[in-house]
Order: sequence, then C-alpha cells, then structure tokens
Amino acid sequence: MRYLTRRLLHAILLLIVISVFSFALLQWAPGNFFDAMRLNPRVSAQTVNGLRLEHGMNQSLPVRYAHWAYSVLKGDMGFSFSYNTPVASLLWARARNTLFLTTIATLLAWLLAIPLGIWSAANKGTWCDRACAFSTSALLTIPDLLLFLILLLLAVRTGWFPVGGMVSTSFASFDFWSKLKDIAVHFALPALGLAVVTLPVLVRHIRSAMVEALDSPFIRAAHGHGIPRTRLLFRYALPLASNPLISLLGFSVATMLSASVIVEVIMSWPGLGPLMVQAILSRDVYVVVGVVMLSSVFLVAGNLLADVLLFVSDPRIRVE
Amino acid sequence: MCFCSSATRGFVWSDIVKHRHKLWGALLLLAGLHVVVLFAGFFAPYGSSTQDRNLPFAPPTGLHFVDASGKFRARPFVYGLKDDPQALGSFAVDSTQVYPVHFFVQGSSYKVGGVLPSRLHLFGVSAPGRIFILGSDAYGRDQFTRFLYGGQISLAAGLIAAALSVLLGVVIGGLAGFYGGWIDDLLMRGGELFLALPWLYLLFAVRAALPLHIAQWQVFLLLIVVIGLVGWARPARLIRGVVLSAKERNFVVAARAFGASDVYLLRRHVLPQTYGVVLTQMALLVPQYVLAEVTLTFLGLGVGEPMPSWGSLLASLQQYYVLSSYWWMFLPALLLIPVFLAYYMAADALQERLKTVPL
Amino acid sequence: MSGFPKGPKDPLVCIRGLSKQYVQRRPLTSAKFTIQAVENVDLTIHRGATLALVGESGAGKSTVVRCLSLIEIPTTGEIWFDGVNVLALPHKALSPLRRQIQIIFQDPTSALNPGMTAGEIIAEPLVIQHEGTKTQRRSRALELMEQVGLPAKWESKLPLEFSGGQRQRLAIARALALQPKLLILDEALSGLDLASQEMILRLLTDLQAMHSLTYVHVSHDLCMVSGLADEVAVMYEGRVVEQKTTPELFAHPEHPYTQDLLNAMPSLESICEERSA
Repeated sequence: MRYLTRRLLHAILLLIVISVFSFALLQWAPGNFFDAMRLNPRVSAQTVNGLRLEHGMNQSLPVRYAHWAYSVLKGDMGFSFSYNTPVASLLWARARNTLFLTTIATLLAWLLAIPLGIWSAANKGTWCDRACAFSTSALLTIPDLLLFLILLLLAVRTGWFPVGGMVSTSFASFDFWSKLKDIAVHFALPALGLAVVTLPVLVRHIRSAMVEALDSPFIRAAHGHGIPRTRLLFRYALPLASNPLISLLGFSVATMLSASVIVEVIMSWPGLGPLMVQAILSRDVYVVVGVVMLSSVFLVAGNLLADVLLFVSDPRIRVE
Repeated sequence: MCFCSSATRGFVWSDIVKHRHKLWGALLLLAGLHVVVLFAGFFAPYGSSTQDRNLPFAPPTGLHFVDASGKFRARPFVYGLKDDPQALGSFAVDSTQVYPVHFFVQGSSYKVGGVLPSRLHLFGVSAPGRIFILGSDAYGRDQFTRFLYGGQISLAAGLIAAALSVLLGVVIGGLAGFYGGWIDDLLMRGGELFLALPWLYLLFAVRAALPLHIAQWQVFLLLIVVIGLVGWARPARLIRGVVLSAKERNFVVAARAFGASDVYLLRRHVLPQTYGVVLTQMALLVPQYVLAEVTLTFLGLGVGEPMPSWGSLLASLQQYYVLSSYWWMFLPALLLIPVFLAYYMAADALQERLKTVPL
Repeated sequence: MSGFPKGPKDPLVCIRGLSKQYVQRRPLTSAKFTIQAVENVDLTIHRGATLALVGESGAGKSTVVRCLSLIEIPTTGEIWFDGVNVLALPHKALSPLRRQIQIIFQDPTSALNPGMTAGEIIAEPLVIQHEGTKTQRRSRALELMEQVGLPAKWESKLPLEFSGGQRQRLAIARALALQPKLLILDEALSGLDLASQEMILRLLTDLQAMHSLTYVHVSHDLCMVSGLADEVAVMYEGRVVEQKTTPELFAHPEHPYTQDLLNAMPSLESICEERSA
C-alpha cells in the first residue's frame, strides 16, 4: 500500500512540475501574441491593453499561476484564438480520437509482440529466432516517417483503405454497422503503422525478459520435475517476466504518444497531433499548453496504471 | 523512433559477421557517407537552389550505354525529356536528344567547407540536358543534389544535438555519480522528469515558445539546442552508473590516498572509463536526433525553405497528387535507411567491443 | 624476522579510541541503519617495526587501515602520527602527511589503472604531488622499478602484461615513490600464489632494511605474518582484543579468539616454527 501511495505522490508531483513548466510556456507566448495583435492596425491600442488586463497580465507570477491552475482544474483551459471555441471542448474531442487510436495500436502491438517474443525466447538460437531478430532489427532501421508514408502510398495505390480522416463524408447517414465498418477501415492503417513502429522494441524486450526468466534456477528445477513445456512457459516463466514488461508498458505509452503525432498528421486522423501542429503555426497558445498538459496527464496516468498493475501482479512488490 | 531501450537496440548479426569486422565495416560506411555529404558541392551535379521551371517532377534520368541505333558507347549518356503526349503533366524520354555524361566538369560554383570556392563537380551533362538521378521536385530542383545538401543540415543537426546531449549527460551524470548525496538525488529526479515527458510534445512546446519569424539559421541552431537539451537524461543515467562503479576502483582510491584532487581523479581515472559508453550513446543518439529534426521539418516546425533539410524533401509527400503520381519522391526517404543502418551497426559493434574489453 | 636493529622505541603511530560507523539510508525512506565497523580501537606501532593485524573477515581490519591512511574519516578517536594529531589538522595540511602513509591493496589488478603504462603508474604519486620535472620523475620511476626487481625496459608495458606477483611489485614501487614512513599492506599477499608470496615477502624485508620502513600487515593468515612481524594485534568484531609481540602471543594467547586461531593450525605449528627461524 505504501508503494502505491508513493507512486501516486510521485505522479502528482510530476504533474505539478509539468503544470509549472506549461505555465512558464504560457508566459512567453501571450506576450508574443499580444505583440502580434498590436502590429495589426485594425486593433486599437486600447483594445490590446483591455485584453491584457482581462487576461490578468499585470498581476504577479505566482498569483497568475494560482489562478491558471485553479481554472484548469475546474476544466477551463482558456480560449482558442483560431478555432474560436473554448480549448477544453476542442481538446476533449481530439483527445478522444487520439486515445482511441493509441489504445487500439497498443493492443495490436502487444497482441503481436507477446506471442512473438515468447516463441522467440522458447526457441532461442534456432533459425526462427534468428529470423525474428533479423526482421526486428531491419524494422528498426526504417524511420517511422518512412513507414507511415509507405502505408499512405499503399492506401493511395490500392484504394483498399481511405487516404485519411476518421470518417467518410457521408458518415452521418450510415446505419450503426456501416458506421462501425467505416471507422474501422479508417483507423486500420494508422493503427497498423503505430503498431509496426513500436513492435520491434517490444519483441526485443519480451524476448530478453523471457530468456532471463527461463534461465532462472527455479524454472530449471521445475523443468527437472517434469512440468510440460507450455505450462512452464505460461504459468511459470511469463509471470516471472511480467515485472519488467509491465514497466515497459508504462514506458511505451510515451513512445506511442510521440509516434501518434506523426501518424495523425500524415493520415489526417483528427487527434491531438494535427491540432498541436496547427496551434504552433498559428500561435494559438492556450491550445498548445492544453495539449502539452493533457498529453502529460495521459503519460503520467499510463505510468500510474502500470504501477498499479505491477502492484497487483507481482507479490514481491506487495511485501516490500 | 524511440528514446527508450538504447541498451537492447543491438543487432543479432554477431553470428553472421565477426564483430571486429562489423565495427570497421560500419565505421567505413559512416565515413564514406559523411564525406560524400560534406563535399556535397563536388558530388552533386547542381547547386542546392538551382531550379528548372521547365522540368517540374521529372522522373529519374536513366543512364544508357546503347543508343537508339544499337551502337555501344563507352561514355554513358542520358536522353532529353519532352512532354508526354499520352499523360498530361508528365515527361517521356526523347531519344533524339542525346547528352553524354562528363566527369569532373565545371559547373555552378560552391564553397568547399564554406571557405574555398570551387566549380568542380564529379559529373554533369551540358545544358539543356539534365541529369536527375533521383528525379526532380515541383520547382525542377534536382532531388539528388538536394539530398546531399539536405544531408549537411540534417546530419549536422543530429551530430551536434547528440554531442550536446552526451556532453550534458557526462557533466550531470558525472557529478551525480561522483559526489552522490543530495546532488545525486536532485539530478536524477530531474532526469526522471525529463524521461517521463513525451519527448515530441516537449519539443513542440519549446518550439512553440520560440518566435516564428526568425532567421533560418537561428531556427536551425535553436532546434539543435532544444533537441539536445531534451535528451540528456538517458546518457546521464548510464554515465552515472559507470562513474559510480569507477570511483570505487582501487586505483582511484590509491590515487586519492596520494592526495589527488577531485578534478584530477575525474580527469585521469574516472572519466576515461566512460568513453566507451559515450561513444555508444553517440552512435545511438545521432540517428534518433536526425529523425527528430527531419520529423519537425516535415511537419513544418523545423527549418524551412529554402534550406534543404531531408524533412522538407519528404514534406511534399503529404500531398495526394505527389504521393500517387511521382514515386521517385520517396527515394530520399529510402536513402535514409543506409544512414541509420550504418549508425546502428556501429553502435552494436561498439557495445560488443565494450563487453569484451577487460576492465 | 626482520634483521633490522630497532630504532628509538617511541611509537610512530598511536591510535586511541578509534571508532567508525557506517550509516546507510534506504532509498526513498528515512529509515537508516548503522553498522558499527570498528569500536574503541587502541593500537601502537613502533618505528621501523612490523605490526601484523589479524582477524577474520568483517572484524574491522580494513576499516582501521583505511582510517589510518586517511581514506576514511573515523567517527571518533585520535590518530597520532609521528607526534602529530592527524585528525585535528586542517584539510590542507593533510597533503604532506599523505605522502608518509601508503597503502597496498589485496588485488593488484584493480589497484592499477589498466590504461596506464608501468612507468606512468609508478610516477603518478609524483605527478599528483607536483614533484620534479618530467625527466626527474621518469628516472625516479625507473630507479624504483629496479628496486622492486622489475627490469627498467618494461617501463612502457601495460598492467595486463604483468603477472600477479609483478603487479604487486608495481604497486609497491608506486607506494615507495613518495618515500613514505609507513607502508600498510592490506592483505597484500593473499591474492598471490605461494611462490610469489615468498618472493614478495623477501622483497618487503629488503625494502624495510633499505628505507627504514614501518609496516602494518593486515591478514587472515597468522602463520605467514608471524614470519616477519614483530608485534601482532588481534581484532575480533570491531575491537582489538590483544596486542603482543609475536613470540609472546604464540606462547601466551589470552583472548579466546586468539586461542582459537592458534588451535586451528596444530599441524602447521612446525612449519610456522620453521618459518620464524
């Protein structure tokens, strides 16, 4: 229990530091935004000053941070200048799409990686294992960007998959099953791309964790007792290997989030990635800060989830 | 693209190729690539901003040795291009226009290493023929030339940023490992924070804080600094580990007993033991950072036109018509693979070397 | 037995009430637990003599010598070296003192930087203490190599090209570079084979005569050190339980642990007597 509280406190501390960082970011930028506004001859100086006062620019930093933090916790994350809507509602819709995509991609990646890793470890040294290692190495040399572009090319050339977006234009008129199929066909390529990009590292880690588990003395003893191989693999070795793997899960959330930005932009998936890019290009500060904070929250939550899973699955952590 | 698992990124080719040969092979390949990129002016047939508005999206020029009448020519030649009557907007080969390829020609002027002016190019064809090894883009710019010049920018970004990260890692990891105590705690917690953030979002955030309209070279510099600053945490952790074990070695204790100062110990005994880790980290980080720069530029947040980063070469692929009709625009992306391969092979060979060196 | 006639009988080193505690923190909690390595140790080492410090592993022998050689700072206690209260000195004044006390470790391989040549290793103390020019340092290093029985032409070899015994000679040469008064041998012979042990012991005896050195010999092996020690101090669980001259210890051991030690080698008694002859 102490372990959990410790991890929770750690997560909260991390979020606070990130919020301070985001707030600092906010401080540089609005100045720039208002400067840009000031250059616009159609906006009078009084309006600019009025806006500045409205945003509380004349108060001290800690006070402003407190106000900002409080309003963020209440759910008000500011206003988007380019979309002309409150940031929170904008973020929420996009975040939902990103979460959707990354969750499916994560599931796909792990569903592929676990059997591959286990099988590779169980047949260590055989040509299957070597072929697997070779292909993962080969995949690692291909930059993600290239991979996503190739998938896009596939979509364009074969016409099996739509070239972008999340839904077709006539989505609203579909019935339920067509809607499902439509979404599925749209997320197939992005999810596949994300999964393939994170797959090699996962397989590599799973394999080494399993190899280490299989080499441990008590597994050998169990083998000596005549326990059949599949049971040995799944009931004995896999739980032993699960500790580093669950930590890996928490870690892979970060890579997945970063990679999802690229895939979303390339395949026009309406998630946080394209929003962020647009916001930076149009100097839409509150959106930028909102996305940074939100993605950090996801990351911290993902790691916390991994910690909880670890607590539940590994009795050694509970004893400590 | 992943900042994690640098330790397990190695290849398993050790059964196939002896690791000593692998290291030399990888280093040779790397050296070759970098030399070609460094002397881009010489190896490229055209200048980096040379345009030919008459030939947008020209396909890669084929080299021929046998002409239309079946005669073999010792000197390779290329054909001219004419508008394709069947496919509007694309080009067909015109076998009536024959341009022989000359080597060591005088072409557009450039500066070797930014200093020495020269006009010597490895190969070229006389105008109005064009030799587009990788085709041309929307402005009729030779993609091969832009690939070489782009390499200067992207590789430089990766190398400098990686050097920065590793340098920071050595300083911070070294201090944390050597002095321990609260310094160690503070620095490593800070490192954890950096590791916990999604790196691309961090880059974006910092990029967002920077003014948009500043000179290109300033953007380049800032980009490098930002990428380098974001990634110090992992090298720092590894180096801290090495320093922790190094400072307990008996020869360090003995030197301390002779009255050696901390600076001397670090300089003479402790830091030299980190060189192996430093080199491996460099070999692993450079491709990651190159990719970071390429990604940022690709998304429009990095260096912009006319600086020919590899990212801007790939940026046009986001457009549908480019993707569907002009396949050669992919070639620069494919050429990235051998670059990364060379670096990963070097990193892998270095890691194996480290394991076998007795220490 | 060291054949060197004993000098003036005032002690070179006087240790009184030395105690050392190690405190370890469990990471991320405030729980600490203390290990009492050494408690209330009194030791006297006479000039020109050899003291053997024996005891089982974990008895605190290494801690005592680490405090003596100023590698560690004791929690409490006093160390008097050559009439000077060492622990009361300001930090800057310790440097000249460090030259006079040198320590040789058990594992010569780890005590030598594998990347430095033999010449560099031996000259290193001179470099650290900023003594002499480059040529002077080199000639001193060569001189020391000769003294320990290593040919001067091996100056540019790396440690891995030497055998275990030769590496220990290198370490001894390095220790002598600053002309110390006290040489501490922390299980320096335990890692060597018997033949090398013999040779190093002989070398040490010669060097003691040549340079009027004082030795502190830390060891498990009572038998081996009895051959060259004038006095023996026995440590048990962080305390010195007995300090006597060698013949007296063998004849009248008082503490039960000492008696156990001596009883553990009845069959070797004759060999010990042979050695001490």
